[in-house]
Amino acid sequence: MVKTGVPRLDDLLGGDIPKGKSLVYYIQPGVEGEIFGLQTIYTTLIKSGNGVFIASSTSPAVVREQFREFGWNVEPFKKKLTFVDAYNSLIGVPSEEKYAVLKPDNIENFNEIIIKLLQESPPSTIVFGSLSTIMDLCGEKETIEAVRSWNKIAMLYDHVIVYNFTAWPYSEETLDLIKNELFNAVISVGGIAERVIFGQYFGILKADWTEKIRKSMLFRVFRPGGIKLFIPKIVVTGPFNAGKSTFVHSLSNRAISVDRLGTTIAIDHGHVDYKGFSADIFGTPGQERFDPIIKLISGEAMGIFLVVDSTNPEDFVRAKQMLKITKSYGLPFIILANKQDLPGALKPEEIKKLFNLPDDVQVLPVTASNKTGVYEAFEVLIDKITGGI
Amino acid sequence: MSDFMFGIEELDNAIGDIKKGSNIMIIGPPMSGKEIILNHIMYYGAVKNDNAVIKVTTRHPASHVFEWFEENNRALPLSKIGIIDCITKTIGKEAVEAEHIKIASSPVDLTGIGVKISQFFEEFFMKKKLPKIQLHIDSLSTLMMYSNIQTVFRFLHVFTGRIKAAGALGVYLVEDGMHDEKDIVTLKQLFDGMVEVKLENDINFVRVVGLSSKPTQWFEFEINGAEIKILGEKVNGKNRRSQT
Repeated sequence: MVKTGVPRLDDLLGGDIPKGKSLVYYIQPGVEGEIFGLQTIYTTLIKSGNGVFIASSTSPAVVREQFREFGWNVEPFKKKLTFVDAYNSLIGVPSEEKYAVLKPDNIENFNEIIIKLLQESPPSTIVFGSLSTIMDLCGEKETIEAVRSWNKIAMLYDHVIVYNFTAWPYSEETLDLIKNELFNAVISVGGIAERVIFGQYFGILKADWTEKIRKSMLFRVFRPGGIKLFIPKIVVTGPFNAGKSTFVHSLSNRAISVDRLGTTIAIDHGHVDYKGFSADIFGTPGQERFDPIIKLISGEAMGIFLVVDSTNPEDFVRAKQMLKITKSYGLPFIILANKQDLPGALKPEEIKKLFNLPDDVQVLPVTASNKTGVYEAFEVLIDKITGGI
Repeated sequence: MSDFMFGIEELDNAIGDIKKGSNIMIIGPPMSGKEIILNHIMYYGAVKNDNAVIKVTTRHPASHVFEWFEENNRALPLSKIGIIDCITKTIGKEAVEAEHIKIASSPVDLTGIGVKISQFFEEFFMKKKLPKIQLHIDSLSTLMMYSNIQTVFRFLHVFTGRIKAAGALGVYLVEDGMHDEKDIVTLKQLFDGMVEVKLENDINFVRVVGLSSKPTQWFEFEINGAEIKILGEKVNGKNRRSQT
């Protein structure tokens, strides 16, 4: 069983990729998708599996360097990581790898080397760095036929075979075969475009071993770090002096506040990287005179933290009012019962009763000043935002 | 002032505006001065027209590109420049990315080159709020050398489309005489116009086709460092030099 190592994708795939299966990352041109194959092979290696990388658009040396850029040290896995060099002969450089395709524009030569490797290797995760490059050099039909036979042999030898494929404007027939027929699973990796591409997402188009979940996840690529799910906006709101700024600062890796006389008058902004997630956090002011700003800040939010002071139930009416202002009833939100370390703090269950909220609304205990419960709260909200998978 | 210009007065006057979203091929034989024309368009765009310029270099490392401008006393505003270096890694040299340099793994790696182009577009358009962007590819001939015409066509099909969508300008260099005429005709389908450069008896000529109702005259030009100076026009097969 193989994991992709991409946050949430493994959950969407039912936990992992079963042996013998094939998977393609179907990548929109211009989107940083080839890292999906790299992250899959690296995850295999650190989980004691064997990996094979077919380098067709650049040399194995450059691929090793790419691993380093992502902070993934593959040196300890020298014996478990094999490269097929299908690049160097294109530029007339001799290969130092055990497996080399000497005529990368000849599908027969490719077939010979790949089939030999599939038969000789122990069960491995085989990643094709760029199937589109092979298709460009060897032809669409020829490559498709080869892929059919590689997938079959991989199944017989218990490999998991993974392809990065950039969906250039090939023939409709080719694109249709790739999306619908050739592989057990298809992961679409695309870009959100409005004049330029400004966001990237992935989602499952097909996975024949698990129920398909129609969900797209935004992601960003970090060097080092690899793929992290990206939540562009989480809003932290709540009454005056509930501890919103403290919460933003204690959750964030970096944060800044616009304060006057010790209270937030415009915005708190923080960024959090945690367990494969990357999120921008925006805190609103609490005083009523700033309500118009709260509306502005809350636009396009993906989730809301409502922070309340557990020792000050008088402010709960105001807190409910603020939820309405942020229009959060349609959005995933949780209530943070802050200042749990202070005497007289109400328990989350008591606060829930006072709020008279539906059962599925969670009230979580936190003490933002010493970070108690803040990351747990973050995880719960992320689960809600990403559908709880 | 128009958003996009060649920065060569006589050519700009002859064609009027270059429309937003245009894709232009510069084609000419080796040593005819077309690279210098491309560099001139880059410099003019960034310095005089306040545009962001992305240059994909498949023949010279990014450091050489900057050296050329320095040697010719052309200071580039780095915040508006993005170079995609496709060669340094191929020749086995260490390559480090910087704010204005991105490294693609090889000229074969069109996927990687495409990603870097998109990243610079996002950076200029979304983060730096520079809406006028020029994409220069120097050169398509090298890309075709490492792959083939269909592959480069597919790549260009995507990115000429993006240029149109973004209201940007794309300028692409092609070596004349290096490819089948058939291939050039195939590529031409993707472009709105061409800058043709030729050499006759050691005299350089340039003209623009497709960006105005009819092709411009051939202009005789000379190169002085980084400067392109138009000396005259060729009318009815005869050179007429301007009185200066």
